[in-house]
Amino acid sequence: MMNKTGLIALLLLGFAGLYPLFVDSAWLAVGTTFLVFACVAFSQDIILGRAGVFHMGHAMFFGLGAYTTAILNVQFGWAILATWIPSVVIPMACAFALVAPIIHLRGDYLLVATIGFNIIFIQILENDVFGLTGGPNGLFGIDVVHVFGYDFSSQIHMYYMAFILLGITLFIMRSLDRSKFGRAMFYIHKDDIAAQSMGISLRYYKLYAFILGAGIAGAAGSMFSVQYSAVSPEAFNVTQSIMFFTIVLVGGSASLPGVLIGTFVMFVLPEVFREFETARYLVFGVAMILTMILRPRGIWPVKFGNIPSFLKKGAK
Amino acid sequence: MSEYLLEIQNVSKLFSGLVAIDNLSMKVKKGQIYGIIGPNGAGKTTLFNCITGIYTPEIGQILWKGKDIKGISPYKIAGLGILRTFQTIRLFSEMSVAENIMSGRHIKSKQRWYNGIIPTPAYFKDEKYQWTKVGELMEFFNLSLYATTPAGDLSYGIQRRIEMARALAAEPELLILDEPAAGLNENETIELTEMIRKIQAMGVTIMMIEHDMEMVMSLSEYITVINFGAKISEGVPSFVQADPKVVEAYIGSDEEDEDA
Repeated sequence: MMNKTGLIALLLLGFAGLYPLFVDSAWLAVGTTFLVFACVAFSQDIILGRAGVFHMGHAMFFGLGAYTTAILNVQFGWAILATWIPSVVIPMACAFALVAPIIHLRGDYLLVATIGFNIIFIQILENDVFGLTGGPNGLFGIDVVHVFGYDFSSQIHMYYMAFILLGITLFIMRSLDRSKFGRAMFYIHKDDIAAQSMGISLRYYKLYAFILGAGIAGAAGSMFSVQYSAVSPEAFNVTQSIMFFTIVLVGGSASLPGVLIGTFVMFVLPEVFREFETARYLVFGVAMILTMILRPRGIWPVKFGNIPSFLKKGAK
Repeated sequence: MSEYLLEIQNVSKLFSGLVAIDNLSMKVKKGQIYGIIGPNGAGKTTLFNCITGIYTPEIGQILWKGKDIKGISPYKIAGLGILRTFQTIRLFSEMSVAENIMSGRHIKSKQRWYNGIIPTPAYFKDEKYQWTKVGELMEFFNLSLYATTPAGDLSYGIQRRIEMARALAAEPELLILDEPAAGLNENETIELTEMIRKIQAMGVTIMMIEHDMEMVMSLSEYITVINFGAKISEGVPSFVQADPKVVEAYIGSDEEDEDA
């Protein structure tokens, strides 16, 4: 038997799977970017929505993945396929090295520190450190994926690669939700003193969230650089970090449908209303404010009580 | 190894020069129910916070099975088998009762770091086992009915039961109860008393702060009385009840007691 949420999920999956057959190339690119941004939003959600850490520098991890692929491919001639592992591992290693010393900071203090990291990251990119990053213009001419002599170069290929990436991301989110790791993050988020008294290390699980989030964001960044065959610093600045932060809060922290809706509202709707030019951002500002007033837990808030069915039998 | 499970030796805790706990010593035997009483503001909860690692006392030692555990972080204290409840209930109120109790199973779970990303056969086995344990505890505490209900939506008495179930889920050696009967009605207090006896029968040592004198006197095998952070009396319930110093301390603070 399938419940309502499962049915909606299946319909969405079907729609997303067939979407490229019905749209022109411009909308196909919007669709691909939506899938990539959804991955980044989910990875932000692990840190912000689940572990409850106010992290506003997530575009840095996204950018680290994108630049790892770009630099290794453009400057060192690596095949895109070979850059996939480094584009995940390098953001994870950076997350550990940068965040471990500041993970004990509370809410707003940590938020400011993560913004600081993001600003420094942009400075490094713009100043073309070691002549690798291409400065303010970024890097161009990133290759496409070749497997067994076949080129995955069309927009449709890009779309389905991003589709698979989102599938992997959702699989991880589901595993996380049903493991002691995901639960530990919720406990820390809801009451850190009670969580510690149950034997849960704040430091370990917050870092776990950061490293996992950075890895997924890095993979999405790699995909992003290949899709546009170029990277430049402004795609990974603090404004982008604010957008990922907002997607999670507007959509619904720790809620899978919520984060998808958040990504749709914050990213796809502006594309739909392109003809209104910059006036559309006014509408979004207002929408963000109204969401926080009317639905402070997001458009589709998280639902707890995800327990095995044998425990639900006796419950009312 | 020491004959005592927990020994508090000459512990003092200062808050910016104010003495919250003043040269306090006590010894808790394995399997005992140990009561701590005293007027409000006497430093009882501060003592529990020192034992569970939330505070680090400036002076003295806290020995767990003979080893000093002073200054160890709270999550490691829980790992040693010292679990607690809170005076002001601290549940994960948006989460279901079952999920709340599951937090107690955290330290017993054998899931590996990669199980947060990918499930393995060992993970499925562990996950099922932990939830089964949660089911047993809900049965024991008569909570099965509320398995999926958010803990914050339930009455005070039920929330206290959830907190105890959560602590007990971690299979503690020492269970620290901070005013377990506060806010409970008469029937609930009787239920609680039976529950605490059953927990003791499982072999769990219990330390308890309680203002309900009838309950604390009937349950405790040994009692320490604290006032202004210092011990003013200790002994078996009948001795403590008759001690003039204890009577004086309570009469002198009658008013605050009413606010509790």
